[in-house]
Amino acid sequence: MFKKILIANRGEIAVRVMNTCKDMGIKTVAVYSEADSKAAHVLFADEAVLLGPSEPAQSYLNMDKVIKAARDTGAVAIHPGYGFLSENHEFAKRCEQEGIVFIGPSSDVIRDLGDKITSRKIMKKGNVPVTPGLLGSETDIAILYQVADEIGYPVLVKATAGGGGKGIRVVNAKDELEEAVASASREAQNAFGNSEVYIEKFFTRARHVEFQVLADDFGNTIHLYERECSVQRRHQKIIEETPCLVLTDELRKEMGQAAVRAAKAASYKNAGTVEFLLDENNRFYFLEINTRLQVEHPITEMTLGLDLVRHQIEIAAGNPLSLKQEDIHPRGHSIECRIYAEDPENGFMPSPGKITFLKEPSGPGIRNDAGVYQGVEVPVDYDPILSKLVTYAETRDQAIAKMIKALKDYIVLGVKTPMSFLCDVLESKAFKEGQVFTDFIDVHFSDWKSNAEMIDAAVIAYIADELAGRAAPALNAKQTGVPTPWETLGNWKMTKVG
Amino acid sequence: MEYDLIVNSEKTLVEAKIQDREITLQKEEKPLTASFERVSDHQILLNINGTQLNAYVGGGKDVKTIIIDGRTYYIRDADSLAQAPAGKKGFKGGAKTVCAPMPAMVISILAKEGQMVEKGQKLVIVSAMKMETSLFAPFDGKVTKINAKEGDKVMPTDILVDIEQKKEPAEETNE
Repeated sequence: MFKKILIANRGEIAVRVMNTCKDMGIKTVAVYSEADSKAAHVLFADEAVLLGPSEPAQSYLNMDKVIKAARDTGAVAIHPGYGFLSENHEFAKRCEQEGIVFIGPSSDVIRDLGDKITSRKIMKKGNVPVTPGLLGSETDIAILYQVADEIGYPVLVKATAGGGGKGIRVVNAKDELEEAVASASREAQNAFGNSEVYIEKFFTRARHVEFQVLADDFGNTIHLYERECSVQRRHQKIIEETPCLVLTDELRKEMGQAAVRAAKAASYKNAGTVEFLLDENNRFYFLEINTRLQVEHPITEMTLGLDLVRHQIEIAAGNPLSLKQEDIHPRGHSIECRIYAEDPENGFMPSPGKITFLKEPSGPGIRNDAGVYQGVEVPVDYDPILSKLVTYAETRDQAIAKMIKALKDYIVLGVKTPMSFLCDVLESKAFKEGQVFTDFIDVHFSDWKSNAEMIDAAVIAYIADELAGRAAPALNAKQTGVPTPWETLGNWKMTKVG
Repeated sequence: MEYDLIVNSEKTLVEAKIQDREITLQKEEKPLTASFERVSDHQILLNINGTQLNAYVGGGKDVKTIIIDGRTYYIRDADSLAQAPAGKKGFKGGAKTVCAPMPAMVISILAKEGQMVEKGQKLVIVSAMKMETSLFAPFDGKVTKINAKEGDKVMPTDILVDIEQKKEPAEETNE
């Protein structure tokens, strides 16, 4: 087994991977940028290497610096997490050339599947259904107009190198196409260093259902059942759950087999995720294979009682898969909410800043994979995910109730968070009934405002906070006590004493 | 004591009686009495008619952020708002502005100085945390000044575009 692993990532996922490394007795190396010198993943690791300035290109995306950090610290393997270099085939290739184990599939597989076009071709060949649209990237706007007309609006402009909701635009009508193409390519160029785009049919009322797969070097490929990821905002998932309500046993089996076929067609190794769109008529289409650990992997871990990162490391170390398809039986229900520093009342705008207070929820069936702590600065430079909050219970209703309780018990001050928004989504009739499509947020929550049912209590808390001053800097003060109103009057005007 | 507060941007006049560790809000229906205990700098335990509620309080002199039962309330003193230096927002008449909503990088500027713009017209595209966001003209008017260029890093208080509002009959900002 590996003695030491470098985690080429930051935030919650770096901490998550390090947790398993520590469980397995493997030493961990963190890398970080100047903006992250006190980040949670840096503090948690056995060793930490500064890569450079906060710009991703000069730190987390800089292959030379990451490889050098592995060399300098003697790390024999690199776990890329998700995002950053995780789906960069050149990086995987560099690792292969340098004799460092890249924990993931081979560089060729990442290259083929990372290119949406090639992967669509591979799947077609492997007898896996794909969505209608272009089978090649296209820069000629005239051709794009023509294809969009053929498959019919709305269409999706997608970066061929895309992922994580970046470089994707929905185009509802012809006059929006050109600008969407320009801005998607620009975003793709910034995020992935590749501006190529293509278009495919956009299904407004579709579900996003994905299957986890594991494959080893010995030809064993299994699937670990599905995750439903239809609740999305800005094409980024925010609530995921397993099992998916609408899959019949028959359809689940069929899709699972298609997922295994997809992995085999691509000669896939390690952990991966086969994403499908499921339309209203229960027809499913291959979307892509994510050649990395997914943000939402914990819900699979909860219902199967296993550690996916451990299996990733075992497979990368050349060990045969210890699981067989017939041994995999999911139990209960699990839900994940992604907790970002963002403002749901303002278009989910990122809300960077310093976390002045943090209280994480806990209790039976609650798991919070956090990458922040009280006092840390959430930098503007990166994806503002704070943690993944996961609940597990016997039934879906119980898992939902547990999640609402956990969200209410999750207190973050200093940055804005979507807790109350998520509570409202989970409490909504549509969600409870499982009427969840990828347009769920737009349809049900586009103008969401937090309702203020406890204004009186909030006003009392405001006054109480004014009256009972916060602790003075003097640390040895035994009891701050309650100052008299005269001491705390401030700007208040005294009109009458009741 | 009378508190002139703004709760989630709604003006709220509150009359409160304060006695030891008890606060009584004078309500139209009937008074609401709560006792309170500070747990820590950011946590206050309230007891309202026998029911305990934990209130988490952040922020400072200007606006307090209060979280109760998973909901967030922003409360500020209306008086302190009146004393706030004018010029940033809600400035009466004259040039109005387009500000960055968050620390961000300017991707593209779509307006020119001197240009007439319409309300809702896209003026600036900024990017933060790898997400692109557009900033729109808040009203019809003339762009008097552009204070940023592509590639600039900007902060929420930075004014990116100054716009002189087109004269309209009876214009009133409700701030």
